[in-house]
Amino acid sequence: MSQSAILQQQHNEESETITAKRFKRWMTALVISMIAGGGAILYRAIEGLAVTNLSAFVPWGAWVAFYIFFVGLSAGAFLLSTLIFVFGMEQYERVGRFALFTALICMVVALTFILLDLGRMDRSFNAMTFWNVMSILSWEVRFYLIYMVLLATELWFAMRIDLVKLAKEKLGFKSKLANVIRLGSDDTSDLSAKKDHRWMKILGIIGIPIAIIGVHGGTGTLFAAVAAQPYWNTPLFPIIFVVSALVSGTALLIAMYVIQRKVRGKTVDLTMIKGLATLMIFFLVIDLTLEFYEFLVAGLSLKPEKMAVLDVMFTGPMSWSFWGVQLFLGAVVPIYLVFSKRTNQSVKALTVAAILVVIGIIGVRFNIVVPTQIVQSMKGLPQGFYFPNWVEWLSSIGVVAMGLFLYSLGAKFLPLETEEGDVNSHE
Amino acid sequence: MSSKYDVLINKGLVNGADILKSSKYDTKLGLNMAADARRLSDGLISEQAFVEKYQESVGKEFKQKLALQATTDDQSGVKWGMVIDLRKCVGCETCTVSCKAENRTPPGVSYNQVFVEEEGTFPNVSRTNIARPCMHCDKPPCASVCPVRATYKADNGIVVQDSDRCIGCRYCMVACPYGARTFDFGENYDEMTGYQEATSPEHGMDRGKREDGKSPIGTVRKCNFCFHRLERGEEPACVETCIGDARFFGDLNNPDSVVSKMANSSRAFRLKEEYGTEPRVYYLR
Ligand code: SF4
Ligand code: SF4
Repeated sequence: MSQSAILQQQHNEESETITAKRFKRWMTALVISMIAGGGAILYRAIEGLAVTNLSAFVPWGAWVAFYIFFVGLSAGAFLLSTLIFVFGMEQYERVGRFALFTALICMVVALTFILLDLGRMDRSFNAMTFWNVMSILSWEVRFYLIYMVLLATELWFAMRIDLVKLAKEKLGFKSKLANVIRLGSDDTSDLSAKKDHRWMKILGIIGIPIAIIGVHGGTGTLFAAVAAQPYWNTPLFPIIFVVSALVSGTALLIAMYVIQRKVRGKTVDLTMIKGLATLMIFFLVIDLTLEFYEFLVAGLSLKPEKMAVLDVMFTGPMSWSFWGVQLFLGAVVPIYLVFSKRTNQSVKALTVAAILVVIGIIGVRFNIVVPTQIVQSMKGLPQGFYFPNWVEWLSSIGVVAMGLFLYSLGAKFLPLETEEGDVNSHE
Repeated sequence: MSSKYDVLINKGLVNGADILKSSKYDTKLGLNMAADARRLSDGLISEQAFVEKYQESVGKEFKQKLALQATTDDQSGVKWGMVIDLRKCVGCETCTVSCKAENRTPPGVSYNQVFVEEEGTFPNVSRTNIARPCMHCDKPPCASVCPVRATYKADNGIVVQDSDRCIGCRYCMVACPYGARTFDFGENYDEMTGYQEATSPEHGMDRGKREDGKSPIGTVRKCNFCFHRLERGEEPACVETCIGDARFFGDLNNPDSVVSKMANSSRAFRLKEEYGTEPRVYYLR
């Protein structure tokens, strides 16, 4: 063994212990957040929705906003994965399984949020036992479940060969887990790999309409179909939902991928990140254009009910969330970061851009849910006001921490990274 | 408890056969007819079958002819509706208060509200009081969005809210164009003694005490046209207590009813008709 190889090995071991330490600290932080959030959830479960800032005037709040935010992340991440598995954009292969896994976890988080929001959590299964064909929400519940099964199946096919290989190593927990999840499959031949790819393609193709029309377009329709809320009630609304899902999904994947590689002291594929960042900005620009026309048409047609909502959004006490979060942090800064020659060669800047876009979309989701409810349906009712209180914030942090916790467990124990990820590293 | 009353009642009961024996008519026929009459009222046999079965023997025994008693009119039944005369309404909110008392609604829940709209500038001002119960829309958006069909349109025109099925998602609240729905956050009028001793008998159902975690807490609530009162032949509380006599209630299916005539007058209009919800509450301008 040459001198340098020994050094290299030492270096590897060192960085592995550092990674293990970091992982422990990270998981501890998540568990603490989960306990804190769990406390808030328990409080809410015992005392009911009265402990939130929700009211008769603004019945939907932070939890609904987070719910559509995470459904959007999921749909976006999944659609990105189809670029790889269905449309063969192999340059993004490295994030493929992460995308599927992220999509799955985001759905779990989204459903937890909507569960928290129910006045009668104990009756949540009524949503499965009863069915109202006219109710989009009723359809959505079913679509979400089908979609989650599909995600899990596709992810399984994507990981299958690696699971089999891992199971054969017979070393440690990871391989034992793989042995259980492989579900008895043990063919690692090239032919079986081809079959896997075929299946992934088929599932991806079925998944595309389910994700676009069923899951996220459907969630948009859930809002758009409400005639009593003129701001939602436009056919453009579901489309904006889908496009902003693509924006946030791509952004999240960039951020997740880079952060994970960095904390493990591994290299990052800059070309791929740059490609994804450009894609993200492309979606973002479409999203902004659609929204611009939405506002413009509403403004020019002088519909008083729509104007009232826009007024709340642009000039109300919460307008900072529109100008500051949604537009400045969520759009202007990231576009600058991705296009400026000074910053677009740095992984750090691109990651910051991606994180800002994700935060911006949180602003988008809040501004979808809240302002229209501030304006009351009947003249004479007092104007509402809503800002989440500590119970809502803390429980939300807890639920998000739960998502990250599940994700980290998966990233540690499941073969989510493709092997060649380490070989062709750049930067 | 109930068995105690049963015993009391049974003591007072007389034996049908004994009584019938004292009459000059056939005892067995009487007993059979009584038994079948009970089955008839339970809906187990039709009136037609009853008449056919006893026509002959009744004719022999009583020299009488049995006839079908039930009306052969249109059986689609009543469809309740309300008319509110805006010229008579003085904006006193008696309806709001009597509704709260009748339905024992908690803080923050109001089935009925009165909105005051002032228009124009002094001296040319007008003031309109718009009392708003649930419109009991014929095409209710609240019912079409409900994922579990906890709210639905009943045959009698009432939009029913089933608080035993509602999951409290509040979709119906954002979908109602009239702000007619409120969520029961579980608050109580603590200053009012005995407030929690009873829940309103909505839709004629007795729910006993108002307790945490028990319906209707955690669900959405709305006006039900005081269905429990209608069943007793009374008008909704807001109609009965209106001091200006501005509210009218009745069967909109019957063209001769007072409400039908009013609803067809040139003064009649409905709120937000452009939404296509077809409200069953009419206003007279
Ligand atoms: S007024 Fe509102 S709550 Fe009443 S039936 Fe119409 S939509 Fe439903
Ligand atoms: S809150 Fe209840 S009644 Fe309203 S839509 Fe949800 S389940 Fe239906």
